[in-house]
Amino acid sequence: MLDANMPTDQVCLGRKRPVPSCPNPLFLQWLTELRDSAKEKGLKTQYVYQKAINSLKKYPLPLKNGKEAKILQNFGDGICKILDERLQKHYRENGQGPQFSADGSDAPIHLAPSFQRSNMASSKQMEAPTNEPSGNLSEHMKRTQREVRKEKGTKKKREYVPQKRSGGYAVLLTLYRHAQTTGSKGFMFRNELQTEAQPLCEKSFTVPDLGSKYTAWSSVSTLIQKDLLVKTHNPARYSLTDQGLALAEKLDSEETGMAKEYVEQMSEEEDAQDGPDVVDLTLEEEEEQQEEKERCRFSKSLERPVPALSVNQARGQISESDAVGKSQTLEMGRAAMGWHLPPGSYEIVLCVDVIETTGGSSGRKQELVKELQRNCVTFDIRKLNVGDFLWVAREKVTPVPGQLRPPVGKELVLDYIIERKRMDDLCGSIIDGRFREQKFRLKRCGLRKPIYLVEECGSAAAHLSIPESTLQQAIVNTQVVDGFFVKRVQDVKESAAYLTIMTRYLQKLYHNCTLFCRSRELEGDGGDESEQTENLSCSLMAFTEFNYGAIKNKCQTVREVFARQLMQISGVSGDKAATVLEHYSTVSSLLQAYDQCSSESEKEKLLSSIKYGKLKRNLGPALSRTIYQLYCTHGPLS
Amino acid sequence: MPAVQRANTWEISDSEEESDLNKPSSSSSGEKKKRRRRTREEVQEEQENRRAAREKQRQEKNKLKEEKLEEQQRRREAAVRVSLFKPENFIKSLTLQIHAALLRDAGCDVLLRTLDGLQWKNCIENQGLPNSISWTRPALQTEDEAKNGVIEEDQVLMVISHYEFEDMVMSHKTETNQPAESLLQHLYKYLTEASRKFVTVLVISHQQRSGSGDEDHFDFHLSQHHLDTEALLVHLQLYWNVSVNFLFGWQEVTDHVVAVTKAVSKRPYKALCGEPDLGFCMDGSWSAGVRVDRDGRGLAQVWTRQIQQLNRVSPALAKAVTSVYPSPSLLLQAYEQQPSEEERRRLLADLTVVGGAKERRVGPELSGRIHRLLTSQNPHLMLD
Repeated sequence: MLDANMPTDQVCLGRKRPVPSCPNPLFLQWLTELRDSAKEKGLKTQYVYQKAINSLKKYPLPLKNGKEAKILQNFGDGICKILDERLQKHYRENGQGPQFSADGSDAPIHLAPSFQRSNMASSKQMEAPTNEPSGNLSEHMKRTQREVRKEKGTKKKREYVPQKRSGGYAVLLTLYRHAQTTGSKGFMFRNELQTEAQPLCEKSFTVPDLGSKYTAWSSVSTLIQKDLLVKTHNPARYSLTDQGLALAEKLDSEETGMAKEYVEQMSEEEDAQDGPDVVDLTLEEEEEQQEEKERCRFSKSLERPVPALSVNQARGQISESDAVGKSQTLEMGRAAMGWHLPPGSYEIVLCVDVIETTGGSSGRKQELVKELQRNCVTFDIRKLNVGDFLWVAREKVTPVPGQLRPPVGKELVLDYIIERKRMDDLCGSIIDGRFREQKFRLKRCGLRKPIYLVEECGSAAAHLSIPESTLQQAIVNTQVVDGFFVKRVQDVKESAAYLTIMTRYLQKLYHNCTLFCRSRELEGDGGDESEQTENLSCSLMAFTEFNYGAIKNKCQTVREVFARQLMQISGVSGDKAATVLEHYSTVSSLLQAYDQCSSESEKEKLLSSIKYGKLKRNLGPALSRTIYQLYCTHGPLS
Repeated sequence: MPAVQRANTWEISDSEEESDLNKPSSSSSGEKKKRRRRTREEVQEEQENRRAAREKQRQEKNKLKEEKLEEQQRRREAAVRVSLFKPENFIKSLTLQIHAALLRDAGCDVLLRTLDGLQWKNCIENQGLPNSISWTRPALQTEDEAKNGVIEEDQVLMVISHYEFEDMVMSHKTETNQPAESLLQHLYKYLTEASRKFVTVLVISHQQRSGSGDEDHFDFHLSQHHLDTEALLVHLQLYWNVSVNFLFGWQEVTDHVVAVTKAVSKRPYKALCGEPDLGFCMDGSWSAGVRVDRDGRGLAQVWTRQIQQLNRVSPALAKAVTSVYPSPSLLLQAYEQQPSEEERRRLLADLTVVGGAKERRVGPELSGRIHRLLTSQNPHLMLD
């Protein structure tokens, strides 16, 4: 990582000729200042600036203005705007044009060496100009200055306001409108929010643009940091803070106001300055590549005819969805969730977890994939956050002419999920405790038919680290107590045969079925007993929702971590921790309770009579004392 | 005369009080009597009051005592009830129902002898699914009483021979309608009538089932026969939720029966006193607690482990925090000394980590999370 504090002059780095110093020192200096001030405040934008600095340092040619700098990696609209504004300010202060340049050269002022301004110590040659000004440049310079945007006046304090149709904008507006509906629960779940906000946003919330892993959803963390949004609970719920509410209200009134007029198409060069001056640093530079993206693929996936969210819309143009009004947006969002796949429009595909195909010393894992290929099974290798194999009903999509990648089809996940375990794996996972944790996650993933595929059942158990009877009991418990289906096979080939035949069977079973998308976050897990006896469930979860929900180290809540912390004391079991939580759900509320006690003795006894478990036993004076000691000892613990 | 003077006073006081206390009297001699009566009455009243108060106290004390006794009684009863649920006790209430057809095979002896050895109740029955082994027990207080208060467990085993299984495979493959007396038809009929059952078919053979590895290394990696078998197995799974297990000899069958019985006996207790759902799995290497003695020794390690409970915190990272702030109280005091919220959030960011795999300092993100954890009033606030 380039250390920006390194003097940029006379850097040799082992070369014969010195590395030329930066041809854009003013930009470099300003970016460095911005970075440092962000760093002081602990803002993440410091990294944004750092990336820009790194790119700028590598670029050998002079840049006339911020707009030109856009060609560089990591220079997005936001940074370029800032640089242009600074440049304007600089001109105002120092005069424009070559005649005012500091060293009297013809170079445009911002390209002049400004070492004297920077605090880089340097003893070697200072006067070497960073670039040879050519006559052309001064002409370009003049032209550029005419093109440069009119100054908007220096802004001392910039309020964060998201750009229209950006991710942050769409999220705030959607939450606001949702909260206005009668009977609103006051928050939205992730998928719900993504779906309903999508029509308001240029960029996709779910599909990253080519060459990037970011989607419009990444702006949510910015909103949280800026205290406009708050994320609570597990599974996550998003709601507006007071500030967020105020901002969203403003955005909403502007938008409905605008819907009444019809704004004419604005050129690409001028951004629509409808709202207050904004700098949306959440824009990634990838957003610049919008023109190349095929956006129709998303609009196709909405059941109702939706005006194509064409990329060619300039920012100023209002899409039809805006003009039509609030309720339409919400409705469209909901329609997008309640979609279905009619028979014939989808195919059943076996999904194989990536880990099942790589690694392993004997290369046995690749054998599985080869077998599946030989059997001509329709399968797909992907990263599954839980389980080793499952099946999806994938929408059949036709490639669009002129596009390399076919549009992404929607996918629903079938209720069957397989966890494959070789006998030696099973031993290992029982010993280190993973076995129970994996089953726990499988039970909660939302798929109703978990299967344990146990391999190498016939192999000699003598060399395993756990006695055979214990292993067998563990397997039987998995079936009888945990309710999983247990499938025993001899080896990898049999596993492959099993998967093959299962896939063919499922394809046959679902042949004429219409499948409906069920949203787990909105509808919960629902239908238990009745659905279990059903052979075929046609109300299924979307694969994306499923895989996201099954992420291993999910976001933690305060309450959850507090419980785990209490259990670090020997003797505090799950139900004891649970009862403490019932009385004091956060660390701070427990501390407050201690503060309110009138004596140390009272503090010591605070928790001794709280009841835990089915039998309502007392927590006891000993544990109460230990917890008191933990939180109330003023000095160091031993 | 003093009496007269007093009489005045008494008269006044008489008119203030209600007449129901004193009998109405008019003559002055009556006043004298009134005085004495009243004094006596008053004294009596006081005595009454005191007695009543004492009585009340006594009653309350008794009440508390009774309540305490009742409470203890309730707890005892509850403990007894719960102990009935404990696997080692519950298992004694189970009865294994063994279908008579199984007795035809001499090997079944092994099973019966083992059950007797374990002193588990068993009985032979003529009804129900042929070749089956199932479990019944008396209904618990919490369950609805049906069929004379007898509950059938949902697990059912069906023990068949290798040949009988081959018949099933063939009939499934050729899709011939088997006669109603065939085992497969019995199985389907049984499940249609009692859909909540989970049947495991135990195929008993007297030779080791050969692995597919030594057969066919050619195009058909698995023999056709094997594929036909698999087709039936998958059908049984997807349509009937029936699982199949291939065992070698009656000893293995017996072992399986014992394992299922033990598993069944674990369920009620787990359902009753199972771990609460706090959103994460209770088991795992993280949950082993640290022993702490009466004087609080051991809490330093607890505190460090507590920091590790946050996502993505290694032991080295946790140590970095707790070595500078060796108690929660010290950390909270440090927070209070910070002039702004921002600085509180960043308090731990620059602490150096010794021995960490990749981290060199705690970092602002983790510092923020710890601050939020210790100070937030909202239990549902996300830390990540």
